[in-house]
Amino acid sequence: MVNAIIVVDDGSAEPIRKSLADFPVTILRHRTNLGQGAALQTGIVYARKLDADIVITFDADGQHNAEDVAGLIAPIVQNQADIVLGSRFLPESQTRLALSRKFVLQTARLINYLLSGVLLSDAHNGLRALNKTALEKINLTENRMAHASEILFEIKRHELRYIEVPVLIKYTDYSKQKGQSTHDSIKVLFDLVLHKLFK
Amino acid sequence: MSGIQLVLVTGFIFIGLYFLIRLKKRLLDIILLFSMIAAATVFVLWPNVTNVIANTLGVGRGADLIFYLSILIFWFVALKLYARIRKLEQLFTQIIREDALKNAQTMPENKG
Repeated sequence: MVNAIIVVDDGSAEPIRKSLADFPVTILRHRTNLGQGAALQTGIVYARKLDADIVITFDADGQHNAEDVAGLIAPIVQNQADIVLGSRFLPESQTRLALSRKFVLQTARLINYLLSGVLLSDAHNGLRALNKTALEKINLTENRMAHASEILFEIKRHELRYIEVPVLIKYTDYSKQKGQSTHDSIKVLFDLVLHKLFK
Repeated sequence: MSGIQLVLVTGFIFIGLYFLIRLKKRLLDIILLFSMIAAATVFVLWPNVTNVIANTLGVGRGADLIFYLSILIFWFVALKLYARIRKLEQLFTQIIREDALKNAQTMPENKG
């Protein structure tokens, strides 16, 4: 089902190609750490060069479930959407999460709505699928975590059709450690305000 | 001349000299520089002038007026600097990205 896997190494201290030598993947390495938004954009640009029909973004911290990919691309295959966003808050999602996490994400989702006019059930879900139109139109300039909201701005700006589908988020000790703290969300908000100011 | 006036005016003179040496000598820059230093010197030597200006603007003391204006100027400079940092960051990102794309490494099994 998947033709190519692109791994973006965002300037990790030990180049990731050593540990991926046996896997059929393409590795793009940033010489220095730029942030998740920048890493996604690099992957997007490379996928354009490959002339991909569908692109799936997938966080590498182990919180996503590869089995969700089929459900994710279905609306694109049926031409119902240009971009499909994973959500842990749709009723069908089996995700269990802590109350504090829920609160932060719900607040973030409302802020996203106020800033972008796109109301989603989840605020910051790394699992997404893009069709060719979305792939060509979406450009991320927010290098860090504010990219998730920037995707919504891009959806609005280019009038992309979007759909959310339920996905499972696994909260392991590793993904919690790699993930965002509540404190980080303040920084994201700051980046977003500046993004709006300096567009 | 009181002690603080001496310190401030000396400071202004050094700042003026520094910019005069460093800056490109465009007439407009020099005029702007000199008028700013002249104004600052006048305000330091005759503080009552600021009081008069402040009173016409509805502020009690000249020192308060200068404080309020400093806040505005501070924010203006901070935003200008931030805009420049963002521009630099975008340029930097672009260079790193081009390098990453150029050196894309496809593992053997994935060829073709």
